[in-house]
Order: sequence, then C-alpha cells, then structure tokens
Amino acid sequence: MKPKPIKEVKARIQQHRRVGVDYFRLRLLCPEIARLAQPGQFVMLRVSDSSDPLLRRPFSFFRIFPPQTKKRKRPEDEGALEICYQVVGRGTSRMTQLREGERLDVLGPLGKGFWPEEGRSLAILIGGGIGVAPLVAWAEQLRREQGKKKRFSKTSGNLKEVLVLIGGKSRDKIPGIREFMRMGLEPQIATEDGSLGFQGLATDLLERELVTQGHKSAALYSCGPLPMLARVAQITDQFDLPCQVLLESRMACGVGACLGCAVKVRDRTLRGALEDEDARAQGAAVHLEDRCGEEMAGSWREGLAPIIAEPPAFFRYVRGCKEGPVFEARDILWE
Amino acid sequence: MSPKTDNPSLQVNLGSLKLKNPVIAASGTFGYGEEYSGIIPLGSLGAIVTKGLSLEPRKGNPPPRLAETPAGMLNAIGLENVGLEIFLQEKLPFLRKARCPVLVNIFGSTVEEYAELAKRLSAVDGIAGLEVNISCPNVKAGGAIFAAEPKTVYKVISKIRRATSSFVMVKLSPNVADIGKIALAAEEAGADAVSLINTLTGLAIDVQTRTPVLGNITGGLSGPAIKPIGLRMVWQAAQVVRIPVVGIGGIVTAKDALEYLIAGATAIQVGTAHFIDPRAGLKIIDGIQRYLQANNFPDVASLVGSLKIKKDTGQPT
Ligand SMILES: Cc1cc2nc3c(=O)[nH]c(=O)nc-3n(C[C@H](O)[C@H](O)[C@H](O)COP(=O)(O)OP(=O)(O)OC[C@H]3O[C@@H](n4cnc5c(N)ncnc54)[C@H](O)[C@@H]3O)c2cc1C
Ligand SMILES: Cc1cc2nc3c(=O)[nH]c(=O)nc-3n(C[C@H](O)[C@H](O)[C@H](O)COP(=O)(O)O)c2cc1C
Ligand code: FES
Repeated sequence: MKPKPIKEVKARIQQHRRVGVDYFRLRLLCPEIARLAQPGQFVMLRVSDSSDPLLRRPFSFFRIFPPQTKKRKRPEDEGALEICYQVVGRGTSRMTQLREGERLDVLGPLGKGFWPEEGRSLAILIGGGIGVAPLVAWAEQLRREQGKKKRFSKTSGNLKEVLVLIGGKSRDKIPGIREFMRMGLEPQIATEDGSLGFQGLATDLLERELVTQGHKSAALYSCGPLPMLARVAQITDQFDLPCQVLLESRMACGVGACLGCAVKVRDRTLRGALEDEDARAQGAAVHLEDRCGEEMAGSWREGLAPIIAEPPAFFRYVRGCKEGPVFEARDILWE
Repeated sequence: MSPKTDNPSLQVNLGSLKLKNPVIAASGTFGYGEEYSGIIPLGSLGAIVTKGLSLEPRKGNPPPRLAETPAGMLNAIGLENVGLEIFLQEKLPFLRKARCPVLVNIFGSTVEEYAELAKRLSAVDGIAGLEVNISCPNVKAGGAIFAAEPKTVYKVISKIRRATSSFVMVKLSPNVADIGKIALAAEEAGADAVSLINTLTGLAIDVQTRTPVLGNITGGLSGPAIKPIGLRMVWQAAQVVRIPVVGIGGIVTAKDALEYLIAGATAIQVGTAHFIDPRAGLKIIDGIQRYLQANNFPDVASLVGSLKIKKDTGQPT
C-alpha cells in the first residue's frame, strides 16, 4: 500500500489569540495540509528552534479550512488549520509567545481520524476540557455531509441528528461552545463547579440521555481526559453502541517510526488468537514472560489460576500516532 | 594547498560496503523506512538501518515509553518488533525498492539466537548487511550484557561471523568502562565495522506523583545531550581499530556530523533528529558537501580522523 502523503511545511501564523485563562487558538496558513486534513487527525508542531524543548508537540485539528478555489474572501480560505491548545508545560508555554506573521514548522496530517459509523442516524459527540477541540472539526464535517445528504453522501447517508455533550471544570475550560452554536447545534453543557449548565460531568449527561431517550441508533465520538473516556467506553458498552475515542499518547515522531506512542489494545487478530492458544497450552507463565516482558508476566502470574482457566484477553500495542489516535472504544484495554 | 574541488565526492567505503554518502538513518528511529517514505526521498540517504529485529515478534515495554529531558529524550520501547518472519514478508519488499542500502539491526537473548538471525538473513537478497545490536539498555534480551565485556563481545561476534558472509557492523554501548577494548574485541572477532553509541541509561521522575515517568522506570537517553559522549567514544574507538567506525549520538546538524567525521568516523547515523526534522539527514548531506567544497577537500575520506591535537594538551585526563 502506498503511504499516505504527509507534508512538512513552514506555515505562516495567521492568527494567534488567547481564548481563556490558559486556552489559545492558533491559525496556520498551510493549504498543503488543510487540503488533506480530516477531523481527528493531528499535526506535530515544532514549537522551538532550539534543542530544548526538543521534540515536536502533537495537536488535533480544531477547525479545518480547505483551500477554496472560487470565493476567497477570508484569509483562511486560502487553506488553513486552526488548533486550540491548553498551556500545560514547557512546550505549550513557549507557544504562547508565537506571533502572528511568524512561521512555524508543521508536519501533517497525521494519524487516522474519526470515521462515520454506517447506518447510524444519530451522532453523539461527547468531550471534556481541551478534548472538545477535535470534536468541533468533526461536528463541522458531519453538518456539511448532512447538508449534502439528499445527494446521497456515502459517509453519512442516514445521519439525521448530531447531539453534542460537553463538559469541563468550569465555563472557561470548554472550547468551541460558540462554534457549535454557529453550526446550529445546541450543546448540552456540564461544569464541575456549576458555573455553566448542569453541575457534574459530561458522562452524567450521556447517561441521562441514554436512559431517558434510548438512542438505539446512535454512534458516539469522544475525546477528553482518560478517566472520562474509560467511563464513556463503559457506558456505551452497556448500551451496546459503537463508540470512537481519540486517545492522547506521548509521541516523538508522530509518523509511526519510533514506537513510542504505544496504546494497549485487545488483540483480535489471528496471530493473537494463536498466541492465546499457545499460552493456554503451555500453562501461560513462562511463555508470557518472554513475549510480554517479565514485569507484565509477573502481574499475571499472581493470578495464575484464573489464567489457566481462562487466559486474559490477549493484548498488543499499537501506535497511537498511526493506528490512532482515534480508536474503537471496545478495543482499548483501559487500566 | 590542493586545487579547489567543485564537486567533492561524498562516497564512503565501510569495508566492502559502498555508500553514496556517509549519512545513515539510525535503528529504531526510522521504522522500516516506509514511515518516512511519504515525506522524504529515501534514496538520498547513504543507508537505512531498520528497527531492531529478533527471531520472534516482541511486544515491547508498557507505556509511557517516552520522556523528554533537557536537549534529549528517554525511550523505553523495549525492542518491540514484528519478528523475522513478518519482516521478510511484509517489510522487506518495500525496503528493496528504497534505492538505498538497507542494514538490518538484529538482537537476540542468546549467542545462538544472534547466529541464527544472521544466518537466516544472509540468505535473502535486498539486505546490504547487518548491524548487530549488543547494546540496548531497555530489555534483558537486548544483549546489553554482551556489550559489557570484550570476552562476550568476541564470543557473540565470532559466532555471527561464522554464520554469515554478509557485511557485519557491531553497535556498541556507551555504558562500559573502556570502549577501546570492546571495539578491538569486535574487530578481532571479524566485524567489518563498529557503530557507536547506542543510548545511555537514564531516569526521569515526575515530582508531582513521585513516580518514574517511564513505564519501564529507566530508559535510553538520546539526542543532542549525548553528543559529547558519543564524540569522545568514537574518537577513542577510532584510535585503536583499523575497521571503519560509524558515529552516532546527538547528530542534528551538518556541523555535528563533521565533528564526528573529524573525530574518526567514516560515516554517521542520524537518530532522534529525524523526529524533529524529517529532512535532517538530507540537510546534513548538503552541509557536508558544502563544507568539503568550501575547505577544498576532494572527498569525505580526507576529512575522516583529521582531528589536530597539540602535543602538550593531547593526553586525555
Ligand atoms: C493526538 C494528540 C492530539 C492532541 N491534541 C491537543 C489539542 O488539540 N490541544 C491541546 O491543548 N493538547 C493536545 N494534545 C496534548 C498536547 O500534545 C500536550 O498537552 C503537549 O504536548 C504538552 O506539551 P508541553 O511541552 O506543554 O508539556 P510538557 O512540559 O511536555 O509536559 C507537561 C505535562 O503535560 C502532560 N503531557 C505531555 N505530553 C502529553 C501528551 N502527549 N498527552 C497528554 N499529556 C501530555 C504531561 O502529563 C506533563 O506532566 C494532543 C495530544 C495528542 C497525542
Ligand atoms: C525511540 C528509539 C528507539 C531505538 N531503537 C533502537 C534499536 O532498536 N536498535 C538499536 O540498535 N538502537 C536503537 N536506538 C538507538 C539509536 O539507533 C541511536 O543509537 C541513539 O538514539 C543515539 O543517536 P541519536 O542521539 O542520534 O538519537 C533507538 C533510539 C531511539 C530514540
Ligand atoms: S510517535 Fe513515533 S511511532 Fe508514534
């Protein structure tokens, strides 16, 4: 298979502004990447020319502006990407000093983004904190496809509705509210401090929706802190609904070369199944040790009896940057 | 003074292996080539070294596997790899089309495993040679124990030498007392070249949680932070062996590469720098070319090992 094109460009910063206490938006002029970008995919930004901080930083697309051939009224019509970021450490602090007009090294688009779940009439987008950012781009795409649905768009032929559930610590820790409103979506909001909407968690909103409305034909798309995603996975499992999650992992290369961004998933491949049989046959422990490293085998050995009766779901590591960052929630081993 | 050379040759010879230029992509930082092929023309590089390969697939260490450190990074990948069988079936066909020599980085947990891998790989075409990793700090099976003693280095390399007639380069660990002795042992055992350094063992701690950042507790340090160490070790190794030395460690710019060449490296490898700039290798090739032109060197070889040391300050302390 031919590798997907990835561009490495010096993008001009079109706009950079603070949108909350520690939230910023950065719009980059880069038609090469904007043309190819899909919601849920990401870019690696080189935040400094010095060797400290050394590595690039991954950021999801908050908004995608593909290059417009006809009307070019706004600057972003030339093809731009917007990211929304939260300041958490050295790299993101450094980013706050970037100025409009400066150029920034951008590598992308990277990874596998959200994909439409066939035959589902409702898309529920559920996000927490900065994790709401990539859902904005996804909502925009779903709305666009919805608009085209009379012409039988293959991606969302049956999509009738988009429901947005978002949450955060407080009202200023939830990006994208205005963007959702502009799309005609009325997001349900939960804040932990009760400063906006329902006091509680976004997952509470989800449970309420599913219990009261059923939503048997929904598909879920989620991004946010790990405990939230794990809870979303649990809930959607209970209700037997397909669910995609965008997972963050530590990345160095972003292109699949370093294997640094490992995500632990259930192994459903034939090879996994065979290894599983092997492990069963050989009484597991020794075999597991040389395949999975001593530490891991050790923790399994503690519960050896159940292993022999029923081996644990076989797992493998996949690359968060290549096979992800969007995964099927039921594939992830949440620990 | 020699006449000005407009077109200095970048070709270098690692023993029997001819490279069109001295810049090689380092193992574990370039995947199986494919990953970067959509971004840069692989054919421009001197060679590619693939991710460390073992007979059986390996899952690698639990995450987090990465931590950033001042001017460097720690990794604890744990030699995750697809194993020989899948490598041959799924990765090699692509590499054969890469239009640059491919070195396969191998490791095992026993001498026999190393020899078996060497034997099986020498029978397939599309591979220019082997880089024998006896130096991964992250797993017991990474052979780090072999790298520590000249005796064990000799043992594993001579066994590999008997198993294959391919080009064999031995990748050395910096986590040793006397690099010269280790390099010599590799040479005596029949290695065609040595490459150094692999990563140094390091630790990162999260002070909020007071836990190690890495799932494996310790990891291998790479990047600009390790350049002075790599440079020193390459210089020391190049003093004692006659086989070519390949320099690795913190090479980001052409200047870094030139320092290694001057210290005695015949070629160099670029690792972590490719994460930051996929074009790093290409830029380094360019920079070396320009340096040779500007300083009237007819070829790379005349630069190798040209370090000038004043007599009165020449002794290492
Ligand atoms: C696919 C992907 C998409 C992302 N999209 C966005 C986005 O749209 N907006 C946004 O603000 N952030 C996003 N992130 C997270 C962002 O990459 C990190 O916040 C950033 O790299 C931190 O850099 P730093 O130098 O400021 O932090 P550092 O100084 O490196 O670390 C500070 C703290 O941040 C945390 N951290 C560091 N790296 C990561 C990481 N990769 N994932 C999670 N936590 C991390 C660590 O716990 C650490 O304690 C994304 C991450 C991934 C993997
Ligand atoms: C993520 C990562 C994975 C690596 N995997 C291997 C490996 O499989 N085999 C090996 O011999 N060296 C491996 N190395 C070591 C590099 O090839 C190189 O020796 C080291 O990173 C120092 O060079 P640098 O500073 O240019 O990165 C790895 C390094 C990194 C950063
Ligand atoms: S970040 Fe390097 S493989 Fe994913």
